[in-house]
Amino acid sequence: MELYRLTATELSRMIRNKEVSSTEVTKSVFSRIKEKENEIEAYVTLNEEGALKKAAEVDEKIARGETLSSLAGIPVGIKDNICTKGLRTTCSSKMLSNFVPPYNATVINKLEEADFVCTGKLNMDEFAMGSSTETSFFKKTKNPFDTTRVPGGSSGGSAAAVASGEAIVALGSDTGGSIRQPASFCGVVGMKPTYGSVSRFGLVAFASSLDQIGPFGRCVEDVAMLTSVICGKDPMDTTSVRREYPRFEDNLSADVKGLRIGIPDVYFGEGVTEEVRQSVMNAAHKYEEMGAVLVPVTLPQPDYALAAYYIIACAEASSNLARFDGVKYGYRSPNYTSLEDLYENTRSEGFGEEVKRRIMLGTYVLSSGYYDAYYKKAKFTQNLMQDMFRKAFTQADVILCPTAPDTAFKFGENSDNQVKMYMNDILTVTVNIVGLPAISIPCGFDSKGMPIGCQLIGGKFSEQLLLNTAFAYEKAVGGFDLSRTLG
Amino acid sequence: MDMDIKRLAKLAKLKFNPEEEEKFAAQMANIVAMVEKLPDLDASGPLIDPDNPMEFRKDEVVQKYRRDELIANAPEVQAGCIVVPKTVAEE
Amino acid sequence: MDTKGYEMIVGLEVHCELNTKTKIYCSCRNSFGAEVNSQCCPICMGMPGTLPTLNEKVVDYAVKMGYALNCTINPVSKQDRKNYFYPDLPKAYQISQFDIPLCEHGHLDILVDGKEKRIGITRIHIEEDAGKLIHDESFAGTLVDFNRCGVPLIEIVSEPDLRSSAEAKAYLDTIREIVIYLGISDGKMQEGSIRCDINVSVHKPGEPFGTRVEMKNVNTFSGAVRAIEYEAARQIEVLENGGTISQETRRWDDLKGCNFLLRSKEDAQDYRYFPEPDLSTIVLDENHLAELKASIPELPNKKVVRYMQTLSIPEEEARLLVESVEKAAYFEEVIAAGNIVPKDAANWILGAISRVINETGKSIAEIGIPASHLAKLIEMLEKKEISSSAGNTVFEEMLHSDKMPADIVAEKGLAQVSDQSVLQQIVDQVAAANQKSIDDYRGGKTNALGFLVGQCMKASKGKGNPAIMREMLLKILNQE
Repeated sequence: MELYRLTATELSRMIRNKEVSSTEVTKSVFSRIKEKENEIEAYVTLNEEGALKKAAEVDEKIARGETLSSLAGIPVGIKDNICTKGLRTTCSSKMLSNFVPPYNATVINKLEEADFVCTGKLNMDEFAMGSSTETSFFKKTKNPFDTTRVPGGSSGGSAAAVASGEAIVALGSDTGGSIRQPASFCGVVGMKPTYGSVSRFGLVAFASSLDQIGPFGRCVEDVAMLTSVICGKDPMDTTSVRREYPRFEDNLSADVKGLRIGIPDVYFGEGVTEEVRQSVMNAAHKYEEMGAVLVPVTLPQPDYALAAYYIIACAEASSNLARFDGVKYGYRSPNYTSLEDLYENTRSEGFGEEVKRRIMLGTYVLSSGYYDAYYKKAKFTQNLMQDMFRKAFTQADVILCPTAPDTAFKFGENSDNQVKMYMNDILTVTVNIVGLPAISIPCGFDSKGMPIGCQLIGGKFSEQLLLNTAFAYEKAVGGFDLSRTLG
Repeated sequence: MDMDIKRLAKLAKLKFNPEEEEKFAAQMANIVAMVEKLPDLDASGPLIDPDNPMEFRKDEVVQKYRRDELIANAPEVQAGCIVVPKTVAEE
Repeated sequence: MDTKGYEMIVGLEVHCELNTKTKIYCSCRNSFGAEVNSQCCPICMGMPGTLPTLNEKVVDYAVKMGYALNCTINPVSKQDRKNYFYPDLPKAYQISQFDIPLCEHGHLDILVDGKEKRIGITRIHIEEDAGKLIHDESFAGTLVDFNRCGVPLIEIVSEPDLRSSAEAKAYLDTIREIVIYLGISDGKMQEGSIRCDINVSVHKPGEPFGTRVEMKNVNTFSGAVRAIEYEAARQIEVLENGGTISQETRRWDDLKGCNFLLRSKEDAQDYRYFPEPDLSTIVLDENHLAELKASIPELPNKKVVRYMQTLSIPEEEARLLVESVEKAAYFEEVIAAGNIVPKDAANWILGAISRVINETGKSIAEIGIPASHLAKLIEMLEKKEISSSAGNTVFEEMLHSDKMPADIVAEKGLAQVSDQSVLQQIVDQVAAANQKSIDDYRGGKTNALGFLVGQCMKASKGKGNPAIMREMLLKILNQE
C-alpha cells in the first residue's frame, strides 16, 4: 500500500507507533506529486526541501520519545492565500507572483506548533474569486476524476490535491462556498467552520466578514483532526470568538437517532439537476434509516441570498484589494511616469478580469448615491436571513441540501457567462452570509462518474454535531470511494 | 442601470480600453441585474452589531520586525524608504 | 481688516495625535522622529492578510476628551473604512469613524476679551494617521516613510460657531491646553501633534450663511489665524465684485500667505465609507465610562475663569498660571498652604519661580521648594516681618536648602525691625550726621528724603522697616 493513499488518521497512528516515519510518508507524497502534478496542476509552489527537513525533525522528536500532536509529521497542503513566512504566497495572482510574506498566518503558527509538514502552496481562483480555479494566473487545476473538468473553486488546488494523493489533507478558505463546492466536485470532505472560530490573521482577505479558513480531508475524522488544530480565539483577529473548542476527533459519534434533519425544499428546486437531487435525497433517506427524522424547513430564497452575497463580498473586496497598488509589494507595472499611471497600470495589468469585475461591482455598490440601495440593503437582508435560520434551527438540528446544483463542469463551460458561473454558489453562499458552519460530504456519483456532494448546515459552533452527522453517513456507506483518483 | 464605468474605474484605479469598456459594461449590466434581486425591506437605521463586542488590545509595545524584512518585497527602495513617482505636496 | 459689513463663520476640524505607547491598530511604538520605517510592522504597512486590533488606551483617551468637551459618549460605536489611494496610506483606506463616532453633541467654553463664549462640538472620533512623504530634490521620486502610519488621532469637529480668527485662535489654544491637561497628547505643533482643517464662509448678519470653503494643510495656530483672515477677505472680495463662492477645498500655503484651489465640489472624492468588517463593535462598559468621567480634572478654560472671578487674578496672569498643569497645581497648593493673598502667590510663581524654570530648565518639582515653604515666605512678606529684599535673599537660599523660610530669616538675621524706640534711635543718629541733607530738603530738594531713608536702612543693616523710618524722618524734616 502506498502511504499517500492513507488518511491522516491512519498515518498519525502509524507515525507515532513508529510503524512508518514522517520522512517515508512525506517522500511518498512527493513521489505522488511528481507522478500526478503534470496532469493535475494542483500546486503553485512546492516546498519539498522544507517538507523533508521538517519530516526529519519530527522523526527525531519521535525517536527522542517526545509526545507529539496527532498532526505531527502529516503532509498538509496550504491554499495559496494563507501567508507562510518565507514561502511565496501568491493568491494565484500576477499581482503577488513574487510576494514572500515576512509573517505566518495564525493557522500556520498553529499547524507549526502541531509539527505539520507543509507540502506547498495550492492553486486557487485569483484572490479566491471564482468557482472553478480557472481564474488562477498560473495554471488550470484539473479535476482528478476527469481532467477535462474543473475541480471547482476557489480552493480547487486543495480539493484536487487531497483527492489525488498530492496531499494527505489541506487547508482552503471559504467565502461563498470555496471549500464545500470543490470538495463536492472532487469527492472529498470539506468544512467551512463557524465565522469566528478560526483566525483570519494572515488569510489574504477577499471578503472579511465572510471569509473563513477550513479543512479538506478524505474522511470525516481527518477533517475533525485538522479543525481541532486551527480553531481558537486569536488576539490578532478581533472577529475571532473566545470560547472552548473541543478536540472534535476525540468526540466523534455515529449515532443520529432522533436527530432532526431539516430539508429546505427551495434548495432542491430550480437549477438543481435531477441526479444531484436524487443522490442527496438518498443520503437523507439513509439518515432516516439510521433513526433520524426528516423535517421540512423554510430558508431564505437562494436568489436574494446570492444577490446579498455578491454585494457584500464585492464591496469588501473592492476595499481589501485596494492595497495592491504597486507601491509596497507585489507587481509594479514598468509603464508609468506619474503616480496615477503607476496605480492604474499596475492594477490593470496585475489583476485578472474576474477580479476587476468584482472590484468594479464593489466600487459601484459602495459609491455615493448607491450605498443605501445596495450595500445597506444587502446588510439588512443578511439580518433577515439570520432570523430565518434561527427559526429553522428551532425545528431542525441540522439542515441537509446539495452542496452545488450540478457536478463538475468542463473547462470554459461557464467562463463567458458570469451569472451562470455565480449560480454555482447559490446553495453555499447563504451559509457564509449567516456565518454558520457547514460540511460537504460525498454522497454518490452522477451518470458521468462525477462526485456529488451533500451539504450539512448546523447552528453556530455546532461543528461537533456536523462532524458526527457526517461521520454517521461515512460509516453507513463504508467510507468514501476515492479509488479512481488515488489509484 | 446607470453605471458610469469610467467614473468607477477612476475610483478603483483601473483602466479599460474602449473595447474592454464595452464588454465590461455588458457584463456588469447582467451582474447588477442579478444583485438587484434583494427582498423589499426597510433598510433605514444604522448598521451596527452590539452583540459582537470587541476585545481591545493592551497598550504594550511589541517590536519584532526589522526594516529590511518589511521592505524586502518593495519594487523600489531608496534610503530605507519605498519610492513612488514624485507627488505634489498635498500634506 | 475691512469686513465691509460681512461676518465670518468658522468651523474647525482639529486632528490631535494621542500619546499612547503603541499605535492605534498594532503594537508598534508610537514615537516621533525615529529613523525612517523603523517603527513599522506588516499590519501598519498594510500587508496582505494582516488585521487591525484596537488599542484600548485610544478609546479611553478619546472618551476622556469627550467628557472634557461635555459630549455624549456613545456606549456602542463602530469603525468605518474611508477609501482612497495615496502612497502614505498603505491599505488604501483609512480606518476612521463615520456615522457613529465615540463622542457627540458637546461644547467648549472659550475666553475671548475677558468673556466666555460657548462653542458647539459636533463630534469626536478616533482614526489612524497616514505615513509621511519625503519630497527632496536629491531624489528622483517621492520617498515614503510609514512610521506615522497608524499613529492614533482624535478628530474634534466644531460647530460653525466661531466668528473671528481671534475666536478660532482661542478655541485652538484651549483645545491644546485641554489635551495637555488630560495627558492624552503632547500638543506639540512643531511635531504635527495638532493640525487642523478650517471651514470658512462669510455672510451679512441676518442673511443665511454663505457657501463654505474648506482649507487644508494648516499646521500652526498662528497660521490658522492668517489662513482664516485671508480666506474671509478673499470671499468678501469675490462677493463684493459680484462673484459667487463655490464649495471647494483649498490648500493653505503659510509661507506664501495665501491659498490655492485643491479640488472643486465636482471633483469631490467619493470615499465609499462602509463599516470596517475587520473590527467588531466598540462596546463601552458603564462602570468604565464612569471611571473615565471621574478622572477628568478641572480644565484650564474653567480654571482661568475661576482664578479671575474668585481669586481676583487678572486674566493675563491667570492664563499664564494655567498654561502649565504643574504651575497651576503648584499655585493652588501654595494658596491652600497659607493665609495669603492669591495675587501675591501668582506673582512669585510667574516671577521668581518661572525665572528659575527658564534659567535651569527644571520643572517645579525638580526645583524642590515645597508649596508650604513658599506660602510661609509670602506670609512673612505680607506681614512685613521681612523686607522685600530680604524676601529675595530667603528665596535664593530656599533654592539650595530645604530649611523653613523662618529658619533662614533667623539664621541670617533678616527679620525686619519695627520696634519704634530702636528705629527712633537710628533715625536720630542719621539726622544728626546729615544736617546738609536736611537743609537741602527744607530748601526744596525733596529727593534728599530718599538718601536719608537709604542711610537709615544702611545703619539698620537692612533690617529696619523703611516705611516707619520714613515717617520718623518726615517728622524731623517738617519741624522747623
